[in-house]
Amino acid sequence: MIIGIDCGSTLCKGVLLGTNGIEAFSVLPTGWDLQKSASQVLAELKGYISNTVDTIPVITTGYGRDMAPERKRAVTEISAHARGAEYLMPGVRTVIDIGGQDCKVIAVENGRVVSFQMNDKCAAGTGRFVQMILERFNADISLMDKLLAAGKFVQLNSTCAVFAESEIIGLLAKGYSREEIAGGMARSLAVKIGSLAARVSLHAPVVLTGGLAESSGIRSVLSETLNCEVQYLPQGLYAGALGAACMGPG
Amino acid sequence: MPETTSRPLPEIFESFSDARKQGFITMKNLKEQGKGVVGTFCSYVPVELFLAAGLIPVGLCSTSDETIGEAEKVLPRNLCPLIKASYGFAAADKCPYMYFSDLVVGETTCDGKIKMYELLGKIKDVHVMELPHSQDKPSSRALWMAEIKRLKTRVEEKFGVTITEEKLHRAITERNRERALLKKVYELSVMDPPPLSGLEQLQILFGTQFKFDHEQKIREMEETINSITKTYQNGKHPVPSTAKTASRPRIIVTGCPIGGATEKFTRVIEESGAVVVAYENCTGAKQFDRQVEESADPYEALCDYYLNIGCSVMSPNPNRLELLGRLCDQFKADGVLEMVLQSCHTYAIESHTVGEFLKARNIPFMSLETDYSAGDTEQLKTRTAAFIEML
Repeated sequence: MIIGIDCGSTLCKGVLLGTNGIEAFSVLPTGWDLQKSASQVLAELKGYISNTVDTIPVITTGYGRDMAPERKRAVTEISAHARGAEYLMPGVRTVIDIGGQDCKVIAVENGRVVSFQMNDKCAAGTGRFVQMILERFNADISLMDKLLAAGKFVQLNSTCAVFAESEIIGLLAKGYSREEIAGGMARSLAVKIGSLAARVSLHAPVVLTGGLAESSGIRSVLSETLNCEVQYLPQGLYAGALGAACMGPG
Repeated sequence: MPETTSRPLPEIFESFSDARKQGFITMKNLKEQGKGVVGTFCSYVPVELFLAAGLIPVGLCSTSDETIGEAEKVLPRNLCPLIKASYGFAAADKCPYMYFSDLVVGETTCDGKIKMYELLGKIKDVHVMELPHSQDKPSSRALWMAEIKRLKTRVEEKFGVTITEEKLHRAITERNRERALLKKVYELSVMDPPPLSGLEQLQILFGTQFKFDHEQKIREMEETINSITKTYQNGKHPVPSTAKTASRPRIIVTGCPIGGATEKFTRVIEESGAVVVAYENCTGAKQFDRQVEESADPYEALCDYYLNIGCSVMSPNPNRLELLGRLCDQFKADGVLEMVLQSCHTYAIESHTVGEFLKARNIPFMSLETDYSAGDTEQLKTRTAAFIEML
């Protein structure tokens, strides 16, 4: 048995991996105390183990990987997402991870990273950008998917998340609908990811991991922009945690 | 080599990492004795001319972000940090070496520097050499030769000295000896595991330029090589091997010059579990790999040597790839990491060529952009660690 914890900037995810595969998942908002959220996720996972043994190795990844207690090893989220995606979908070649504060496109072969591209010091194209708009619309991912299903969009000119927010306020004032603005946001995100993808060779199958993995709307806009199908990866939210567990204590 | 080992290794490394600071005092004393000082920025400047004139050459490339704010009062924000910092230290009068320089010699390497020198010329006495941007045309070579002669005349007039061929020849021999020893220092890391970390190697390579007494410098380098070799032969391997692969991944660093604030690049690599074995940049092999031909006419020899430095300002730039490929073989590199300073267009663009070159040789490569601030350390860490996990 092994535990993988992906302590991201927004969500802290955990997976308990046993000989028969995934035995338990856990997820919590990260909050301000990274160590505390990681401990809570760990405690929850340990609750699933009968005859609790203390010696289960814990492998951490994500932005807060060095903060998580009891870690046996910390790995980068890049390797972890590649490995986790391979576990969930053997043969996967490209992983797009939209995280809370960064996004990356990873070329994978047999679960190993071949090359990767990551956004620089900028929130454009990250989960934070999406979250900001959802907050303004008082919406969650399922409502966003409904808005995106309308297929409408308005062109957003700002690539910067902060400027885009003020642009959106302006658009709302001009009477644009939530559908159009959500569509514009998704396209702006997809274009940013497209520019990263252009620098790694994009091979199918392509999957989406991270906090937006469940969104069919984001996947379909990405598929359209990248000109290739971005497939649904069940449990894609947990790809990082799962990958960390798969990578093992080294 | 004579038996000179007396000081323990940590003390020797410290003397190099401390050299820039210690050099301030030495330089002050030399100035008080009436010695002339010439400040330089790039590896392209033939420092042998200054040595032959009895002057002290010193590197002025700034490696700290301390005066970038000062520089940005005049220079644009979106400019290479090396250029901004170098100008900033002059404008703020904070770099003792800049302060002590009677003459500053620049060269038309990149656009940023060319224009910065115009502004620097208002603060200091600046002489700019016109560096051609190709190495294979007779007209380029002729221009560079003329520029070397023009520099000679300028130095002679400014300092009232005569640079004789004999003195120049002696300076060439002296400098060659230093180059050979520094090459010996970095070639120690051909051994597996290397006998010193990449950070220690960097401190020696970077620090040596601030030691101004030739004979003493030679003695110290010999002592260093002896000491490192002996410690290693006694079975002490200071770079621990990782349990899994028996040895740490061996990384060659390429790109812009490294030192001071950008030591973070090496730190991040080594904290991520790899070891830097060689530097294919102006802090390392690019400066010390070759020798100036001693049997030829000194001006012809200097012209050929300096023009053929493989910097990304040259187009095409085959010598960089030749050296990089050779180092990869010699040091058995597992991967190459490139450091590109923010807004350094020539290195940033050449990155693609380097990537293709290494791809053909099956050597993993990644290029990272950074500046002199500490703000991106975490981002560098994640990318570098992922690269090393990939190997």
